[in-house]
Amino acid sequence: MGVKIETEKLARVRLNFFSCHRSDWLLRLLDLYGGAAELLKRPAAELAAEGGVLPETARTLLAQSRAADPEKELLAAEKAGAGVLTVLDEAYPELLRKIYDPPLVLYVLGELKPLPAAAIVGTRKATPYGLRTAARLARELSASGVAVASGLARGIDTAAHQAAVGAGGVTWAALGAGLGCIYPEENKKLAAKIVETGGALVSEFPMNKGPLPANFPRRNRIISGLSLATVVVEGGFESGALITARFALDQGREVLAVPGPADSPASRGPNFYIKNGACLAENADDIIACFPPESLFGLKLRGAETVKSPAAAALKGLSPDALEAYRAIAAEEGGLNADELTARLAWQVQRAAAALFELEISSLLVSRGGRYCRAV
Amino acid sequence: MLSKLNTLCLKGIDGREVLAEVYIASGLPAYSVVGLPDAAVKEAKDRVVAAVRNSGFDFPSRRITVNLAPAEIRKAGTHFDLPIALGVIAASGKLGKKPPARFGHAYFIGELALDGALRPVAGVLPMLLALKGRDIIAVVPAGNSAEAAVSGVNCLSASSLKEVVSWLAGQGELAACAAPAATRVPAGGGNDLSEVKGQPFAKRALEIAAAGFHNIILVGPPGAGKSMLARRFGALLPPMTFDESLETTKLYSVNGLVAAGRLIGERPFREPHHTISDAALIGGGSSPRPGEVSLAHNGVLFLDEFPEFSRPAIEALREPLEAWKVTVSRVKESVAYPARFLLVAAMNPCPCGYLGHPTRECACSPLQVHKYRARISGPILDRIDLQVQLSAVKYADWEALPGGEASAAVAGRVLKAIEIQRKRFRGGAKANAFMAGADLRRHCALPEGASAVLETAMNKLGFSARSLDKILKISRTIADLEGAAGIGREHVIEAVQYRMLDKSAAAAAGF
Repeated sequence: MGVKIETEKLARVRLNFFSCHRSDWLLRLLDLYGGAAELLKRPAAELAAEGGVLPETARTLLAQSRAADPEKELLAAEKAGAGVLTVLDEAYPELLRKIYDPPLVLYVLGELKPLPAAAIVGTRKATPYGLRTAARLARELSASGVAVASGLARGIDTAAHQAAVGAGGVTWAALGAGLGCIYPEENKKLAAKIVETGGALVSEFPMNKGPLPANFPRRNRIISGLSLATVVVEGGFESGALITARFALDQGREVLAVPGPADSPASRGPNFYIKNGACLAENADDIIACFPPESLFGLKLRGAETVKSPAAAALKGLSPDALEAYRAIAAEEGGLNADELTARLAWQVQRAAAALFELEISSLLVSRGGRYCRAV
Repeated sequence: MLSKLNTLCLKGIDGREVLAEVYIASGLPAYSVVGLPDAAVKEAKDRVVAAVRNSGFDFPSRRITVNLAPAEIRKAGTHFDLPIALGVIAASGKLGKKPPARFGHAYFIGELALDGALRPVAGVLPMLLALKGRDIIAVVPAGNSAEAAVSGVNCLSASSLKEVVSWLAGQGELAACAAPAATRVPAGGGNDLSEVKGQPFAKRALEIAAAGFHNIILVGPPGAGKSMLARRFGALLPPMTFDESLETTKLYSVNGLVAAGRLIGERPFREPHHTISDAALIGGGSSPRPGEVSLAHNGVLFLDEFPEFSRPAIEALREPLEAWKVTVSRVKESVAYPARFLLVAAMNPCPCGYLGHPTRECACSPLQVHKYRARISGPILDRIDLQVQLSAVKYADWEALPGGEASAAVAGRVLKAIEIQRKRFRGGAKANAFMAGADLRRHCALPEGASAVLETAMNKLGFSARSLDKILKISRTIADLEGAAGIGREHVIEAVQYRMLDKSAAAAAGF
């Protein structure tokens, strides 16, 4: 029996080398033949007829699968320290198993702890507002004991992962490439940190598959599939974040949206969802309130009074100069740079430098390209 | 018949004495130059023949051999025309049976025109300085008269070959070289710092750079005023001393760049384009000549669009930034040129230029930004103490912005800070920027509160140990500008602001 399972797992890893945009017909065929090992023995014409696809597609499926070397692949995964799961494994995440088209093979680097999770997703071109809100939600979720799932992309994803790691929480990243090709490049350190702090990187793609554009919409179903609820922080209508939200709806999970300014292009997606009945996410409690009751066990709710003004607590204990500088910066939607701050307050350079230093080391400001924005 | 007379040549930026020997023998008409001449010296023949004949003398149709001794030094340049022509005239017996009395202690330099007129040449000042303090007479072209006068050597100027011959024959006199009246050019090319509106942090950083001889890099979007500020930087530096001025002028003279023969009295400001080759930047050529770094000696080297310079050009800056000189080695020879300049580099914050712009969207990915900045290698960035961000100014704000202080006021503070450093390092050219090891520990001791600031900066802002040294040096200069004996907490806090590239590198890493 054990040998048979092992053979079937290898066959599935082999089958997973076939790249397709939709895998529902494949899953149907797997059911029909009772496994990948059996499926791969069938002629292309039969697969095409039973699966309802073009003969060409079936031929490609067989050709790509046969060209693969699953033993070598498993060795590569082992070398990278990654686990390889199929639905046959008990460790395969329960929530993901329940979706319509669970990944044939799931590569996991790190540990997928049995925690309730919420996905925080959003555009790569985020505004300072989006970034700090994503970070705050991730921090609050971490404090409540909820895992934060996202996609390791630039912008909102990165902010959410970073904040969760920084708050000592658990965070999972579903990648649009094999675990051997972390993308984007600059998030390699973050990826390592996620694994280090008890989180996990997951991918359905073979270890060395590159970050092809076609991979990303598919991996979004894993982000929503791992989570009880998906929160859209920012994103225009063309944003991948909305794809994730659609997957969440298809999978029967909750979708929440962070409201944004009515005229902000980055907030059109979430505002649209709110208009159409999505829950509004202001803080972690709003998100947890959407979880099914059985998953609330063990979670810490924060209560209304602590979430009223997230900045107020952090501003206590600042020097008067720093407080004045913070107010001037917070009043500007796009933030201020050091020169603008100096001019606005009519201060000497030295005085502005001291105030900025104090704010920066208290993590109340973030700077990008020399422009300071409020971080809380 | 044989004749011998003195001339000079350049080795690097130093003059060397050369003996020009001309021998005319019977035989088939021929002309050869020996003694490692370069192409310009070999070409002298055609000019010399025409000039001698057009001056009313006979050019003998015999076998002529010219030897430039010592034979092991490479001879380059057109200034051998005059000595060779005089040698031919003397050897053919036109100046009498015996060589003229004036040959013995006279040195001749000059390029000939075909009609016998004397043309100015490059490198007169450094060549003549080799004769300083000697009881001799140098004869130079009239066009180099002012430059020659600066050398302090007894010089005569002539405008044609004929004039020189009649002076040698004792039939005429030559005019002595006189220095022109000194005209002081206002520093900074007449531009004042107060003309640049806004940018208080960048201006302050330039003040610190001038005071501590710190190299500086200005990071800012297009149109922020990087070049405007850099051009006004020279006015913040103290005036040149006579020795500095002489050194710089020598380098200019070698390249034939001494305008109107004046000593260079204003600190040079060199602004090579980013397409410059590494050889042009640090010096080179088959017979080496000083490059831009040497022309910026005792002044400012401004490299705009710094990451756009070729990698070899940027890396070539390592030696001059470290050793204040460049050694140019070629197959034929190897020479060292001084290059003690203050580097002012400028760059955009990202390839598109609009990272951190208040109104325009930056189109670069973090990786692109990282790659752009990585074009400046660590070792080079390591030699640049101050990194400061300039901001784009919105037009609406621009009208209302204050101009700030005038250059003279800032220069006053800078001078005081330099005086303090002179006392600290007991003379010499040392400045805060060059402190290392023991000096750093001795002069940059931190009070209790300040070391806590550094620790926080390291932990929270991700500064490396290397940037901490820079912060210490900058803090020392800030304290000197205030006249404070010790570094205070506030000085360190301000210094942290001038390491923006370190800070953003830490931010890009994410933690």
